[in-house]
Amino acid sequence: MLDAGRHPKIKMLAYSEVEGVRGENGHFELKVRRKARYVKEDVCNACGMCVSKCPGRAPDAFDMGLRKRTAIYLYFSQGIPAVMTIDPENCIYFTKGRCRTCEKVCDKGAIDFDMKDRVESFKVNAVILATGLDIFDPSDLTQYGFGRLKNVITGLQYERLINATGPTAGHLYRPSDGKLARKVAYVQCVGSRDLTNCGYCSSVCCMYSIKDAMLAREHDPESVSYIFHTDLRNVGKWFQKYEMRAREEYGVKFIRGRVAQIEEDADCNPVVWYEDTRLQQVKSLKVEMVVLATAAMPALGTSKLARLMHVKTDPHGFISTRPDEPADTSRPGIFACGFCKGPCDIPEAVSQASAAAQRAAAFVSTGAGV
Amino acid sequence: MSLRQAVDRSRAYLCLECGICTGSCPVSRFHSAYSPRLTVEKALLFDEEESLRDAEMWACLTCGTCDIRCPSTVDFTGFMRSLRERARQIGQEGVCTHAETIEAVIELQTSAHYRRSTSWMASGKTVGKAKYYYFAGCLPFLDVIFDDIGFEGRRIGTSVIRILNRIGITPAVSEGEVCCGHDAYWTGQTELVETLATTNIRAIRKTGAKKVIFSCPECYYMFKHVYPEIVGDLGFQPVHIFDVLVPHLDSFKFKPVKAKVTYQDPCRLARIEGVIDEPRRALRALPEIDFVEMQRIGKDAVCCASSNWISCSRVNKQIQLDRLEEAISTGARTMVTACPKCNIHLRCAARDDECKIKIDIVDIFVLLADHLGGGKRGT
Repeated sequence: MLDAGRHPKIKMLAYSEVEGVRGENGHFELKVRRKARYVKEDVCNACGMCVSKCPGRAPDAFDMGLRKRTAIYLYFSQGIPAVMTIDPENCIYFTKGRCRTCEKVCDKGAIDFDMKDRVESFKVNAVILATGLDIFDPSDLTQYGFGRLKNVITGLQYERLINATGPTAGHLYRPSDGKLARKVAYVQCVGSRDLTNCGYCSSVCCMYSIKDAMLAREHDPESVSYIFHTDLRNVGKWFQKYEMRAREEYGVKFIRGRVAQIEEDADCNPVVWYEDTRLQQVKSLKVEMVVLATAAMPALGTSKLARLMHVKTDPHGFISTRPDEPADTSRPGIFACGFCKGPCDIPEAVSQASAAAQRAAAFVSTGAGV
Repeated sequence: MSLRQAVDRSRAYLCLECGICTGSCPVSRFHSAYSPRLTVEKALLFDEEESLRDAEMWACLTCGTCDIRCPSTVDFTGFMRSLRERARQIGQEGVCTHAETIEAVIELQTSAHYRRSTSWMASGKTVGKAKYYYFAGCLPFLDVIFDDIGFEGRRIGTSVIRILNRIGITPAVSEGEVCCGHDAYWTGQTELVETLATTNIRAIRKTGAKKVIFSCPECYYMFKHVYPEIVGDLGFQPVHIFDVLVPHLDSFKFKPVKAKVTYQDPCRLARIEGVIDEPRRALRALPEIDFVEMQRIGKDAVCCASSNWISCSRVNKQIQLDRLEEAISTGARTMVTACPKCNIHLRCAARDDECKIKIDIVDIFVLLADHLGGGKRGT
């Protein structure tokens, strides 16, 4: 990402949204709204002085709401470009009319409260859609108690907890009381392979849950992990070997059965109810934290983007692509790669990106496509 | 319907064998021999005879928890109903509770000379013909059978009429009304259901009612979902009393209720109809009430454990005692419910020696009617 950000022939328009596309077949004109950050991108050097003084607070979206950020913030530390942004909904100056602390402490003079959104036009030969995914909101599956039971979290929240730069500096301190969670259940297929919600396999959850369970053991040799699964779908070279390592070297326990219900004891320990389908018995297991492997779905704005681009989507809302040219959408000159066109893991998304770039290059070099 | 047709109609062939049904089943939690997942699996793998002779099929409460959680949207309770219908054809049936008294009461109502009494409703205002009809269902008969546990079905009916009167509705009632056939339906007695449905429709049409009000969730379910399949257009609209009542809550001026109460969601009302918020709004409208929730509520609520007057066993008692324990652990000593069956079954369990802490079971309409203040009459 850093390489792309520094590349002389790549112009990166972060914090921007495509609002319209005109033209066709290799000659497009895009209308892009460049949203006001209220911070000058060419001046800010992300020193962080403003963040240390800002009194505004809001849930940190990158940390999955597990901690709060300031109203002027850096979305995440490796983000490109590395500049601050003011979130006007939570900024004291924008909401109450006074403060401007960030402006006072900024040596560079990078703050600009009068900045306005700008709409710019760009002529391009090809467009690649790579809008990625959002996760399914598990609070609709009331039986899992997400949002009600404090120690039931999503896989993405877990990623932040176990991350050294995350809100707990990499320790699995559970939300209810900040105690170290040593006995953790991972619940697969939360919204995936579910005809009422996401009627497809999200394809990445089995592998990332195994990875999460192994990480927990690496951080704490006394941790015990239970993975509750429908079928383990470790499809790919070495994936099954990875599962075997988890079982044999990391002591991860696999239980075949989709979790039916999560209850809670008096100490906020989640109690997982399930049928162990191998033993044909209904059982319960008290754990210290539950991680839900929520379904991955096309990013929330995908259908709007598809309408704007005049490209077709499938019944699940993914961008449709041609069976014979998997990077091509229904509209010539517009391509797609990654999770916006269907479930895939990172290596697959990378190779799809190469394919889309190669298809787009044909349009760029001839100006009209092949 | 053959077993094969039942599989196709319920889409049981989509089963992933994930086990969420059995893990969710209130019966399987206490009785390992019964498993919705294995019932489907047997039907898919073995011959029809073996499935139909499996006595465990009568253990299903038809509570529908498996239905709403199944990722493949298999209509398990529908499948179970078809299975029971077929099993009856080869002479299999479940063990009826209460020495088959309730079955006999239902059968009696199919006689051409049958006329029920409506005089017990005289404390409220009712008429023979009106825009609204109140369907009381089996309430008066249940009194006779469950008198020993202090169940007062007629009081539920008269409470509903008092509430309706307060709103300004004088409902029609009829001597020609019979059992709704809910239990006959779920135990596979299709012909009996058809007889009861046509009798009820005839009686209600004579009153000229355009809206039929129900307090029993099961009667409401039958009229809303099953009767149209039997008779087509009903000629009137089935309405649950909560829909009529909730818009008037503010005008009622209730007397205070000084008690800590919890609420038991009935299967048909919460899980199937999604009526979850309304009873809670009604309870919270009572001044000074201390309303607390159990863990398993709404669509995740636990069935009262005997839904079709069959298979009342130690297992069912365990489910009920477990539910009462959950209620008691909230600190509440009063459990309010909106279904006569929840009331009867949990009331029975609350009198069991194993239920160490006492908890009262109270019908929501009785509670509301008893606390109606002197507020002005609506229009």
